[in-house]
Amino acid sequence: MVNDRAEKYRSRVRKPDDFDAFWDHVLRQAAAIPLEAEVVPDPLRTSEDVEVFQVFYTSIDHVRVAAWYCRPARRAERTPAVMLLPGYQMDPPIPKEWARKGYVALSVAPRGKLRSNRQFNPGYPNLLTHNIVDRHTYAYRGFYVDTWRGIDFLLSRPEVESTRIGVTGSSQGGGLTITTAAMRPEVRAASAGAPYLCGFADAIEITHTYPYEEINDYLRLYPERRADVEATIAYFDGINFADRISCPIIVNIGLQDNVCPPETGYTLFERIGAADKRLYPYDGHGHDAGRARHSGIADDFFARHLLGREVRP
Amino acid sequence: MTPYWDDVLAALARYPARPEIEALPLRSTAFATLYGVRLTSLGPYRLFGYLSIPAGAGPFPAIYYPPKYQSVLEIIPQGTANLQRSRYVTFSLAGRGQRNADTPYSAMFPGLLTEGLDDPASYVFRSIAADSVRGLEFLLARREVDRRRVVVAGNDIALMTAALTPGATHVVATPALFYRTAELAPKTHAYPLEEINDYLHLHPARADAVRRTLAHYDLLGFAPRVTSATLLMAGAPGTLLDGSALRPLATALRGPASVYESQQSLYKDGLHSERWMAEQCGITDVQSILPQAWQDATHF
Repeated sequence: MVNDRAEKYRSRVRKPDDFDAFWDHVLRQAAAIPLEAEVVPDPLRTSEDVEVFQVFYTSIDHVRVAAWYCRPARRAERTPAVMLLPGYQMDPPIPKEWARKGYVALSVAPRGKLRSNRQFNPGYPNLLTHNIVDRHTYAYRGFYVDTWRGIDFLLSRPEVESTRIGVTGSSQGGGLTITTAAMRPEVRAASAGAPYLCGFADAIEITHTYPYEEINDYLRLYPERRADVEATIAYFDGINFADRISCPIIVNIGLQDNVCPPETGYTLFERIGAADKRLYPYDGHGHDAGRARHSGIADDFFARHLLGREVRP
Repeated sequence: MTPYWDDVLAALARYPARPEIEALPLRSTAFATLYGVRLTSLGPYRLFGYLSIPAGAGPFPAIYYPPKYQSVLEIIPQGTANLQRSRYVTFSLAGRGQRNADTPYSAMFPGLLTEGLDDPASYVFRSIAADSVRGLEFLLARREVDRRRVVVAGNDIALMTAALTPGATHVVATPALFYRTAELAPKTHAYPLEEINDYLHLHPARADAVRRTLAHYDLLGFAPRVTSATLLMAGAPGTLLDGSALRPLATALRGPASVYESQQSLYKDGLHSERWMAEQCGITDVQSILPQAWQDATHF
């Protein structure tokens, strides 16, 4: 049964008037900080077919961010790249399987994640509400920039084909895919699964599961801060970034998603500015967003847009 | 158990738990109070857990979430309705190395699975198994817990814990780490088992030592001591740990066992385990503590 209620949902998310000015200022602040990238070979994780490196670079507030970087041992001089963005609670994976598909792959650990938590470590649960009353210091200000700086890292690499960069992730990784595709025009293809951080204000009313429940916990203890919280999250809502996306994009959602409600996925998709966009709603699926059925579609999508291969009709 | 595990349990017994319990108002609701718990395990090493107690008169059925294979410690698993805490005592424990229990040892993911792997005496999961036993001991000592209804829900550690110490009446286990590991790891490139492949690729001379260590951890060795009713959550058909792969494990369990094969849907799989736990614990209105998005459940 298709979830009609979700499709017809009317979102509460509104874009602040100075949204673009806020983020343009953040981008200028970030651009003033040198990347200072380190690329350290990891012999333990390297195999005959995939070279693995630990990467570190500097992001806004001078926070050092870690990432895993994989590349096919046999590759063209310049190779298409995919950046993978992590879920809220997951530890960023080593993206060997993307290298095996023929991409250079970067898996970012934004601030607070394992290996990127020496200077910033609000913990889990807590990240979602860390400084949530102040958009200038809210946890996701730096967290978002950390992922965008991953694109700068890829552009700095001589082996990366800079006109063929894709972004993907699921859950928080899906939300970060939206914000990255919106803010970095170098992204040429994006695939977002079960996007989190999209429709904060809607999600905390629709669902009572973590991580969104962190905000309900916070407002229960500090009800007088609701206006400040709502003001902040509007600047970080992926739905408000979506009209800036111009690259081809696919979005998959689960119609029984108990973490990121499908209502928010439909709203997000409607707001995406790209002409080449497609939504895949999976009935009978939860926060997996139909991953097992969808992975082949995502592979074909990136192969078409980044590798230049025509695949299954 | 075996002398190896007898030694672990004897060593653990030398360290009293000495729990410290502190209410956490931020995560407490009208229907449940959350506490942060610190307690001592083998080493000695100080651990951390989240204990949630329902409002009202107990005792209540309990769900113990032993250490998972990730850095983050959750209060309840992501996606679980917070209302689960209104009906069950829940206790989630960070094993050493996980967040909140990462001083002085901070684990890496990936990395933990091969930490000290070439020596059974130093393998990190020797201590993590002890941590998990300590967590269950702590939970069982709580007066709010109905000891006739105690579910241990997690990965391989859940099954090991039920074998190593009495008290688990039910187990929900999703094997991922220690079932025929030496045999299955070479058949996959997926983490966490790929950690074993990485390790042996760099240290091929240690293959025999690794096999010896892993032999102490194979779930088939624990199964005959598990008397709890057990639900084994298998992978989807055709995957490495699918229903047919886990059948020998189910057969080896001493208590009643059933195998559920994943439908590759977190909704369908999650709903099955939630219903199973509720049924086993005598909770007749499970619908009221399911996530909102699952309450229609029109797919069954």
